[in-house]
Amino acid sequence: MTGKERIRTVLEHKEADRIAVDFGTTPVTGIHCKVVEALRAHYGLDQHPVYVHEPGQMLGYIEDDLAEALGTDTAGCFGPKNSIGVWQEDWIEYRMPWGQVVMLPAKMVDSFTEKDGGLYSYPEGDKSLPPSCHMPERCYFFDSIERQQGEIDDDNLNVEDNLQEYGEIDDKTLQYWKTVTDRAAKTGRAVVAGFGGMALGDVARIISPAIREPRGIRSVAEWYMSTVCRPDYIKEMFDRQSDIAIRNLEKIWATVGDNVDVVYVCGADFGTQTSQFLSVDTLYDLYVPYYRKMNDWIHQHTSWKSFKHCCGAIYPLIGGLIDAGFDILNPVQIAAKDMDPQRLKDEFGDRITFWGGGVDTQKTLPFGTPAEVREEVMRLCDIFGRGGGFVYNTVHNIQANVPVENVVALMETLKEIRA
Amino acid sequence: MNPLYDAIFKGMAPLAKTAVQASLDEGKSPQDIIDESMIPAMEAIGKEFEAGRVFVPNLLLSARAMKTALDILKPLMLAEQTTTLGTVVIGTVKGDLHDIGKNLVASMLEGRGFQVINLGTDVSKERFIEAAKEHNADIIAMSALLTTTMDYMKEVVDAVKADGLNVKTMIGGAPVTAEFAASIGADGFSTNANEAVEVAKKLLS
Repeated sequence: MTGKERIRTVLEHKEADRIAVDFGTTPVTGIHCKVVEALRAHYGLDQHPVYVHEPGQMLGYIEDDLAEALGTDTAGCFGPKNSIGVWQEDWIEYRMPWGQVVMLPAKMVDSFTEKDGGLYSYPEGDKSLPPSCHMPERCYFFDSIERQQGEIDDDNLNVEDNLQEYGEIDDKTLQYWKTVTDRAAKTGRAVVAGFGGMALGDVARIISPAIREPRGIRSVAEWYMSTVCRPDYIKEMFDRQSDIAIRNLEKIWATVGDNVDVVYVCGADFGTQTSQFLSVDTLYDLYVPYYRKMNDWIHQHTSWKSFKHCCGAIYPLIGGLIDAGFDILNPVQIAAKDMDPQRLKDEFGDRITFWGGGVDTQKTLPFGTPAEVREEVMRLCDIFGRGGGFVYNTVHNIQANVPVENVVALMETLKEIRA
Repeated sequence: MNPLYDAIFKGMAPLAKTAVQASLDEGKSPQDIIDESMIPAMEAIGKEFEAGRVFVPNLLLSARAMKTALDILKPLMLAEQTTTLGTVVIGTVKGDLHDIGKNLVASMLEGRGFQVINLGTDVSKERFIEAAKEHNADIIAMSALLTTTMDYMKEVVDAVKADGLNVKTMIGGAPVTAEFAASIGADGFSTNANEAVEVAKKLLS
């Protein structure tokens, strides 16, 4: 089977010739650039600075040679601009505070401000604006800086403000998607694309590090509170946003068609480590109708499958996400409360594909032994892999502090299982 | 019928503001208002959270309503008339900028009667210790969201011990577990903001 055939088979809840695997095709199934560099060295691949396609989390691009070495069945297509709104072009070398030289767009690098051992970056790389991201000393990521403008005035809230980043896709961007998906489709692997615009209430988008002058509700805490005290505002926003998204999907489908297999729809997290950010009733009231609208359009008009990322202890919400029309759930945070793998597989495994859940990344992968990693990968592939409906990935991205011997133990165990 | 209790329980800051003013106008002392209406409301919303009937956004709203009322009462209270359960210095550890959970813990502690010194994010061990000394703190509370920063909590705990400071330490944050807390020698650990109040109370009992 090709990677594409393997992924399409497991997404139909059938067992493929072997476990399907993804590494690096989305902002939530990736590998930190520090670990990508270590993996390239381990597998004896050409040593050159790693391209950082998602600077917020400093995710490294998995080039074809490494994808081959890892046995991944997927090829990722990322947006034309990075998380601070800089075009992914004019790559230059930059030495990060931990000493690693990476490739980043020149416009981003040129605007960096170094301060107190850390770095600040700016929306669209424009230093005349306040910084929108900060990487403090001893950190391996850029975190967004809240730029909420003053107190929220409920009497004058205008939903247009929270829609300022959503608009009609332009021809240049459509052509970009055509080029990158053509190239990805030629790999024979399943193509995963993040077209953007469909994430409902994802706080990583609400906080808006790419926007020059964010308006509306842009504070994370304020957004969470709004789900309780401003439901009508949120519904109007989601209704309008999903309409715009569908108009753009029509054009994208006409341009890229079945080059693409999986669409990354939304990364809004509804779970904490031990609870949820909302009730089941609120999920159905605020989110499901608008997710459903977009997912129904995708299923009625395309061959794509829809991908939902949602961290945390979301066991009570999974039924709602299935009702919302999602085909795929990620990252399957098995260490969170009530997220027992066997229970998830038994209760939901025939209705949604688990894309992730392949090893705990809060404890086992960063702090366990290679033997513990191996045992966990074996056990989880056995549970999730039966009957298809599973694409192997770790629980969220592989972080900077993970010992390379643990990542290698993971990869070698996967090879053994898939042999 | 207690409009201030209701306003805080339901997380309605503007109503809390008018209700606290009404209580003052009735001649109640700030400390009585806090003890009779505000702390019980925060205890009640905390219990609802523990029971899974309300969620983080509700706690954030109640904490904001509480703070709105406290901001009116505090200037009216003389230091010697203020009763607190203890003083907590709180911050997100160095290298980590995540503060939603930490701020919620700070608000719940304050709402339940602790004096809270919130140092913000990216806080070094030196700043934790300096602030604990300056405010004669009983507890240093630390938060981390990242697996790459949680180890810094051990550096803080070690520095506190090396300094000989008489202060308890407690930790929290998504990747943090009771096992990890024990391994670094922290005195307390909680999985959520409501539980953090109970842990802090126990540490000082």
